[in-house]
Amino acid sequence: MREKETTLYLGPQHPGITGNMMVKLKVAGDTVVKAETHVGYLHRAFEKLMEQRTWIQCFPIVCRICVPEPDPNEENLARAIEEIEGREVPERAKYIRVMVLELARLATYGLWMGGQAGSMGLYTMPQWTVGDRDYIIDLFEELTGGRIYHMYIWAGGVRRDLPEGFTGRVLKVLDYLESRLPDYDNLLFNNAMFRKRAEGVGIIPKDKAIEWGVVGPPLRGCGIKHDVRIDEPYEIYDKLDFEVPTAEGGDVWSRALVRRQEYEQSISIIRQVIDKMPGGDYYNKIPNPLTWKVPPGEAYVKTESARGEFGYYVVSDGSDKPRRVHVRGPAFVHGVSLLEKILIGANIADISFIMNSLGTCPPEIER
Amino acid sequence: MQKKDCIENTCVERIQKIFQTAEVEIQRDKRVVVKMRLDLVPPFLAYAKDYWNFKHLAHISCVDWLEENEFELVYMLWSYETNIMLMIKSRVDRSKPEFVTLSHIWPQAETYEREIHEMYGIDFEGNDRLGEFILEDWEGIPPMRRDFNTIKYSQENFYQRPGREDAQSVRETISKHSGEEVPDFAKEFSIRRIEE
Amino acid sequence: MTYDKNSKKIVDIIQSFARKHSLWILGYGTGCGAIEIPPTMTSRYDGERFGLRGAATPRQADVLLITGYLATKTLKRVIRSYEQMQSPKYVIGFGSCTINGGMYWDSYNTINALAQYLPVDVFINGCMPRPESVISGFIELQKLIAEGRADGAEKYQKNLEWYRENQKKVIHNWKMPDYNW
Repeated sequence: MREKETTLYLGPQHPGITGNMMVKLKVAGDTVVKAETHVGYLHRAFEKLMEQRTWIQCFPIVCRICVPEPDPNEENLARAIEEIEGREVPERAKYIRVMVLELARLATYGLWMGGQAGSMGLYTMPQWTVGDRDYIIDLFEELTGGRIYHMYIWAGGVRRDLPEGFTGRVLKVLDYLESRLPDYDNLLFNNAMFRKRAEGVGIIPKDKAIEWGVVGPPLRGCGIKHDVRIDEPYEIYDKLDFEVPTAEGGDVWSRALVRRQEYEQSISIIRQVIDKMPGGDYYNKIPNPLTWKVPPGEAYVKTESARGEFGYYVVSDGSDKPRRVHVRGPAFVHGVSLLEKILIGANIADISFIMNSLGTCPPEIER
Repeated sequence: MQKKDCIENTCVERIQKIFQTAEVEIQRDKRVVVKMRLDLVPPFLAYAKDYWNFKHLAHISCVDWLEENEFELVYMLWSYETNIMLMIKSRVDRSKPEFVTLSHIWPQAETYEREIHEMYGIDFEGNDRLGEFILEDWEGIPPMRRDFNTIKYSQENFYQRPGREDAQSVRETISKHSGEEVPDFAKEFSIRRIEE
Repeated sequence: MTYDKNSKKIVDIIQSFARKHSLWILGYGTGCGAIEIPPTMTSRYDGERFGLRGAATPRQADVLLITGYLATKTLKRVIRSYEQMQSPKYVIGFGSCTINGGMYWDSYNTINALAQYLPVDVFINGCMPRPESVISGFIELQKLIAEGRADGAEKYQKNLEWYRENQKKVIHNWKMPDYNW
């Protein structure tokens, strides 16, 4: 007996930490037959605003594109400007930038763990991970002055040097986070209910993954090993020793395993950076930021953020304002066209579960 | 260094042999820029994906050159085997902006084309999902074009809250309202600012 | 059940005491300020000791927390959620974008002054406010409730035509139900 098809609007709020995005579904009983995504609830017209601001005024505005993890944005814009101008960055600044980026990656993985468990109904996990993430945010506040939006990385280096004793405090926080990992494992990753719920849900086929534009942890969860930090090393990633984990399966469970292993790799990267950090200058000074003109040219730069590959296309025509800055976040493809394909055949209860595992972040879909 | 040079140079030679009207140059390490006519773009992209190894479409972007009366479409392809990025650029006439869709080669190109259609007004024939994507009930010209003035639009349509007209010290106003004392070091800083 | 300032009956005092210690917030993060709400509700800056907790639907909520800027598309949904909530209800404007437009003052898609479209009781400034500022904003709201001055819902009912005129100027496709309570 065939069930009648109804239309269902799954509105801007979702359980877990996703953001404002609407999915219009056609359901027959409890399974989804057709899905259509609607975005645009958070559109602020960043790219138009950046054409009206001078180059130095673009840095505070660029970090607000991605709300959970603002540092890859600043780093991309800074690296694009340095490439167009031909400006050199001192070694110490590169090491500090890598440390800040990896700390931001740890904080975002903490939020992801909370969101993934929260959308399943396990509310103890967000209480733990969001509370532990606060220690990393305390470090950011001491270093840069702001809790969420740092505005610390800019063209030519970083804004100020590390305070005294900072690396000791970072190592203490890393030791504490490593001691919490067995608790997270017991609650979420070794939990039989999470495994049964997550295996076989939201599968991305391996032979079509690159053609559909999948990047980041979802791609590594299919068994394909690609990472911007290895393919095109930027800053000092070619001098560090780390692994890129993969898992087979392509479903929510394998993506969770990949992110759990990358958490440990990030902690070891920060330890290596602190060991090898040289002395020296932290900033290559811009002559006068108020009348700073970038020569004509263009650049395309990429970074590996916690959710995938982040790309920036910057065009300059020689004046003191940018001509065009085009931002491409990983969620642009994951959240709009990929989601419509893999939701077919899923239960209604699994929709926000799949959205959390792909890492959809609507502020960067519509900027 | 010698080997890397070889890979970019072989790219350049291969493109120049097959598509002779294209202008190719090496922008820097791992970036090859190709400028070609608009009607050669679909066959070139199909060739790069199927016979060559550029399987990953990274980005489709658009730049508005108002002075030359043209839009410029930019396609970025990345090869996972040789780690080279190809940037393909071509110009579209601004008075009659239209092109064809490429979603039969890469399904994700449909999303990029929807955004470019909404923000710049370029029509992609064959893409049946063009329409409202990010903006809702938008009346007016596509907003990313250079002749759309966003400050004027914001001032006409949204109520602007007027700023403070007197040069009153913010700390004194807040302390009067909440009944707390302004601390000594803050008083010194505020008074100095007013006298400047 | 009057908010008459002149006659402060014992019933009013007990009612406002009960109301101010159990404020249920609608779980709708409308802008980028919503990233500071999970830290406020977890164990470090415990928000639950003041009686704050999340509510799932507008019919069960007391407070609407507008966290940050509002695009015109979201403003339409927020107005509809606000009109579905039942009296007594309060609105808190969170962040500098609700006060005067903030960083996006010249954008064609965000509104600049929230007080023109919804009746706001308390503004919290910052970009974005720290969890301690959030808690102090809620304490200010509790003080207003105790004195009987938090009357945003009545203001909305009395000046409905003025609010509607402002809202219709910004939202062009107006297909919303009438507000009749």
